[in-house]
Amino acid sequence: MDFSLSPDTPAIAAFRKEVQEWLQENMRGAEHLRWSGIWSTRENEEEYRFRRELARKLGEKGWLFPMFPVQYGGGGLTVDHQLVLETEIGRHGLNLNSVFYTLARLVAPAILKWGSEEQKREFLPPMLRGEVSVWQVLTEPQGGSDVATCRTKALRDGDHYVVNGQKIMVGYHHPPDFLWALVCTDPSGPRHENLSWLYIPGNSAGITIQPMHLMMGIKNSVFFDNVRVPAFNLVGGENNGWKVANTYLELEHGGGGNVTEDPLVVRLVRYCQRTQGDGKTLMEDQSIRDIIADTLIELDVVRLFALRNFWCRYVREPHPYGGVQYIYHQRVVRLRNAERLQRILGYDALVTDLSVHEQADFEYAVRSGPGWLHGGGTLDTDRLIFARRLGLGRPTGEAAPTTV
Amino acid sequence: MDLRLTKTQNMFKRAAADFVKVEAPSHIVTEWFRNKATFLPDLYRKAANLGWLGMVVPERYGGASASFTDCAVVFEELGRVPLPGPLFSSGVLSALLVLEGASEAQKESLLPAICSGRSIVIVAITDKGVDWGTESVETRLTNTTGGFVLDGTKRFVYDAEGATSFICAARMENGGIALVLVNRESPGISITPHVGFMVSVAEVRFDRVKVAASSVLGEAGAGWQILDGALQKALPILCAYQVGACQEIFDFTAEYTRTRVVFGQPIGRFQRVQDHCVELSIHLDAARWVTYEALWKLDSGLPAAAGVHEAKAVASEAYYQVCNFSHMVHAGPGTDYGHPLMAHSLMAHTLYQYLGTPLHHKRKMMDALYPRGKG
Amino acid sequence: MDFNVQADTQEISVFRKEVREWLQENMRGAEGLRWSATWSTRENEEEYQFRRKLARELGEKGWLFPMFPVEYGGAGLTIDHQLVLETELDHSGINLAAVFYTLARIVAPVILKWGTEEQKREFLPPMLCGEVSVWQVLTEPQGGSDIATCHTKAIKNGNHYVVDGQKTMVGYHHPPDFLWTLVCTDPSGPRHENLSWLYIPGNSDGITIQPMSLMMGIKNTVFFDHVRVPAFNLVGGENNGWRVANTHLELEHGGEGRVGADPLVERVVAYCQQMRVAGAPLMEDTSIRDIIADMMIELHAVHLFARRNFWHRYVREPHPYGGAQFRYYQRMVRLRNGERLQQIMGCDALVPNLTVNEVVDFEYVVRSGPGMLHGGGTLDTDRLVFARRVGLGRPTKETAPTTI
Ligand SMILES: Cc1cc2nc3c(=O)[nH]c(=O)nc-3n(C[C@H](O)[C@H](O)[C@H](O)COP(=O)(O)OP(=O)(O)OC[C@H]3O[C@@H](n4cnc5c(N)ncnc54)[C@H](O)[C@@H]3O)c2cc1C
Ligand SMILES: Cc1cc2nc3c(=O)[nH]c(=O)nc-3n(C[C@H](O)[C@H](O)[C@H](O)COP(=O)(O)OP(=O)(O)OC[C@H]3O[C@@H](n4cnc5c(N)ncnc54)[C@H](O)[C@@H]3O)c2cc1C
Repeated sequence: MDFSLSPDTPAIAAFRKEVQEWLQENMRGAEHLRWSGIWSTRENEEEYRFRRELARKLGEKGWLFPMFPVQYGGGGLTVDHQLVLETEIGRHGLNLNSVFYTLARLVAPAILKWGSEEQKREFLPPMLRGEVSVWQVLTEPQGGSDVATCRTKALRDGDHYVVNGQKIMVGYHHPPDFLWALVCTDPSGPRHENLSWLYIPGNSAGITIQPMHLMMGIKNSVFFDNVRVPAFNLVGGENNGWKVANTYLELEHGGGGNVTEDPLVVRLVRYCQRTQGDGKTLMEDQSIRDIIADTLIELDVVRLFALRNFWCRYVREPHPYGGVQYIYHQRVVRLRNAERLQRILGYDALVTDLSVHEQADFEYAVRSGPGWLHGGGTLDTDRLIFARRLGLGRPTGEAAPTTV
Repeated sequence: MDLRLTKTQNMFKRAAADFVKVEAPSHIVTEWFRNKATFLPDLYRKAANLGWLGMVVPERYGGASASFTDCAVVFEELGRVPLPGPLFSSGVLSALLVLEGASEAQKESLLPAICSGRSIVIVAITDKGVDWGTESVETRLTNTTGGFVLDGTKRFVYDAEGATSFICAARMENGGIALVLVNRESPGISITPHVGFMVSVAEVRFDRVKVAASSVLGEAGAGWQILDGALQKALPILCAYQVGACQEIFDFTAEYTRTRVVFGQPIGRFQRVQDHCVELSIHLDAARWVTYEALWKLDSGLPAAAGVHEAKAVASEAYYQVCNFSHMVHAGPGTDYGHPLMAHSLMAHTLYQYLGTPLHHKRKMMDALYPRGKG
Repeated sequence: MDFNVQADTQEISVFRKEVREWLQENMRGAEGLRWSATWSTRENEEEYQFRRKLARELGEKGWLFPMFPVEYGGAGLTIDHQLVLETELDHSGINLAAVFYTLARIVAPVILKWGTEEQKREFLPPMLCGEVSVWQVLTEPQGGSDIATCHTKAIKNGNHYVVDGQKTMVGYHHPPDFLWTLVCTDPSGPRHENLSWLYIPGNSDGITIQPMSLMMGIKNTVFFDHVRVPAFNLVGGENNGWRVANTHLELEHGGEGRVGADPLVERVVAYCQQMRVAGAPLMEDTSIRDIIADMMIELHAVHLFARRNFWHRYVREPHPYGGAQFRYYQRMVRLRNGERLQQIMGCDALVPNLTVNEVVDFEYVVRSGPGMLHGGGTLDTDRLVFARRVGLGRPTKETAPTTI
């Protein structure tokens, strides 16, 4: 076994150097910026511009999707290059998966796997080059966790589908270029055999977007009122949407893995080293050390789960239950850490601090305990998937789909 | 043994429930919290008219000479909302502080005003976010001719916004702690709300504020003992407020399991959802019974210190966890600021810290039961 | 509210004095004994003899079942007397509900509620006088938690029922005088309408008892091979057993409540005051104090739940979900306390100590964490009962049965 993320071969070492220099050059001007979280309550136009610009520059080099084929705008590189890029960008406080507010990391692999050649050539390059933002649009007010009960209809009308319905809790505080939407293409068809995916231009007539104020920032209700979408934009085959969803949800459910570290512990320790309480630094206090130890150990396990999943994904031996196990555990740990922060830091854990990256902001961490329990499915549906994959109470386990 | 409320207490309970039903319907409350507009002068006046300020203060000072349990029953209903504003912080905590430590003259001038709602007196104790003990008092009180000068910044003052005066804990030149009454309008005072996942909490800066010698509450140097004494009585009332909040969350969460249908059935039929509700109920009922036992001890004149600290530890932890479990049941919609759960989540995070965290009070409980250095 | 269990009226304080004096007299000779727990791995014939004798002496005065009618062997006393007896016996380290190894405390109330006058006159006095031991015999190897799926058949034959089948995990290490047994009296009848309860003499022909060594001590497999039981011994009506079971299970499921507190914390504190580590008693160590605080607080909450249930039972306003909630919580706390003991005293927590009563023996407590999770139903079935009582996901709530 080799856990090291940078035992570079000469070729990779050269690549790392190239990336480091490139980043040094292209991160100039960002020194004073403090990155917002993926879902954010911060608003900073300057930061947003910088991130979009950075995404475009990375995209131009194929580095946003390093392992995707060159002809669609990827880098055609190996897992080792991907690791280099992820870790080096991680050092600048950013995450390759979300350089700006878009869910292309989920949507691009689905289109790569299920799209026709024409669709790939049309849809992928702008996404892989970081030019467009994409929202994932699944959840409905009635259906909730049960995404297969989809009431948003898309009925064929000549060369178009006409979409009507409502989605909720989707997107970001910046408008989307495309909506990757689950729709029902056969209202009288049987469950799981009546769904399709549409890649809908955000500026189509008939789309209304209404912001919702959630604990973690803005999400939106999207209303579709006779929205006409070219039939070409249906990806993966009419009524085949449930099978497409499988690839897709596996990624959302943690099957993608990642190699970056949570910056929280580092900041916590530094904070405790500097802050006095009861006549000594917090870091000298035995019981605070105990709490930090628990935080550290749990986050380390979460990190190792993610690393394992990353590995399994790239050697193309999907872990049977690794994705959901990771997502579930990560959320539970985040919830516990929220309370730990309040125990350690007192009221200070509740004060928003704009001088640090949002992900390392204690208040954000506290809030994201309960606030992030449900995105992309709840703790309970995570555990359902876990049970299916292991085959608990069933003669056989369900296999995890291969993703990209 | 008799674990029921008395007739009078049931009357109090009903009156409070009726009041909040009219004055604080859920959709308005969510707006208050969403906009962090949690000091509501009108509402405060109405509550004062009902006699809910200084309930435990003797009648001769304008109170109702009610028992702690009587008062708790009312606050339990207010917690269901959760009704914001300084009803507890001024009407219970400050009132008890004055009762506990002030001179007779101070009592006569302060208590009737607190009880009628004319004065809103707010305690400002710590200069730090972390740790909640004597060490956290850093604001200085310096002698000058004809009085004192108060200098420092109090952080995380709960309900500061509505204050007409503060009772400020300050470090004297000899190292002792004094409680000083300061009018909010005194030159040099500024109030800045803290921004974050909390409500009704502000920083109060005392910039070389002049105070008269007569403004020191009771005996100078005995400030912390006075505060401790008042907390011993006030905390269980705050706990009852949190119990009420937990009960309300339990009720609307159980109801949601009946009405929310996914996968073709009410979510309450899923065992996982049931599991969340079980945990929720345990936190609720633990808080309820530990709190009411502590109140009973107070009312019966039994040694109550350990029980009171235990109640604060359990009730604050409970409110926090009850919100979390309810979030699990409500999922996405429960995180919308338009949902009643969000008001509770904000309040629970705030009260977890207010007047000391669960860990702090667990330790005080242990110290009360098993003093250190006694083998 | 009044939490005092010793707020004695004149009459009651006289009674308390009587009980104390009586106990002083009758506990003589027990000074050298250390009480075993309800389920026990200890073996001590002297103790067993003492406990049976004590039960008989208590029973003679009606004090084993103080609130039961005098004509059946009770004392016809009030709840206040019951409280006195419970608390005073508690001081001697013994529990009124389990003076010796019998489950009469559960069976007697059921017979009182469901038995005919003749049955009560015949079955209750020996039980209430502490002369006979009774096992509850429900669980079957196939059915497990699902006790309504009962394969043990009792077929009417003249004036008798003939019983055939197998039960598992029942009883104690001492043989039973009676078996309170759930049987199927109508193998082709619908679920929940084919069950009955038989009060079977332990010495009936055809009964074979085979000990099982469980984590918490001896339980048994009982085989019934053409056991003939007088029809008179069927209690509560043929095929009416499910309704009878409700009374029964509510008692078993914690609905009866209790006033005594768990003595564990006191012993933990005493241990920590004596044990010195690095020159100071363990009790001076903040982290240890924190752990003890958690243990104490949780046990106190368990105690208050039991107290609440006790109260509700005796004012005859059964708490809707209190029984299941109490039992579930008690078990979870016991499980956590098992680990806490290991955290506090290390390996010492794993060494049996015969010089103390078994319920405060650390090793016993550690073991009972996992070992007592399932008696009378599992954590999961407790939560099912809770959900029904609260009416989660249902329009109506199931009410708790009134018990005695
Ligand atoms: C921060 C955030 C970001 C989000 N981002 C997006 C997004 O980008 N795109 C998008 O489409 N959606 C998004 N969502 C919506 C999210 O996917 C839904 O919240 C989620 O699927 C759950 O649906 P629901 O909230 O309606 O809960 P419900 O389905 O109503 O669930 C209610 C309760 O029932 C339980 N439950 C439901 N089904 C079962 C079952 N079968 N077994 C056991 N328990 C069950 C749940 O666990 C929960 O406790 C986001 C939500 C949040 C909070
Ligand atoms: C110390 C001890 C003392 C006992 N004393 C007695 C006694 O005196 N008399 C007697 O008759 N029996 C007694 N029992 C047996 C006890 O009642 C059974 O162990 C219990 O009913 C569970 O049955 P099982 O062990 O077969 O588990 P199973 O029923 O096989 O359960 C296996 C797992 O499935 C879960 N499960 C089962 N049904 C459901 C459901 N509907 N929903 C969700 N989860 C479910 C369980 O929670 C468990 O996790 C005792 C057991 C122990 C350990």
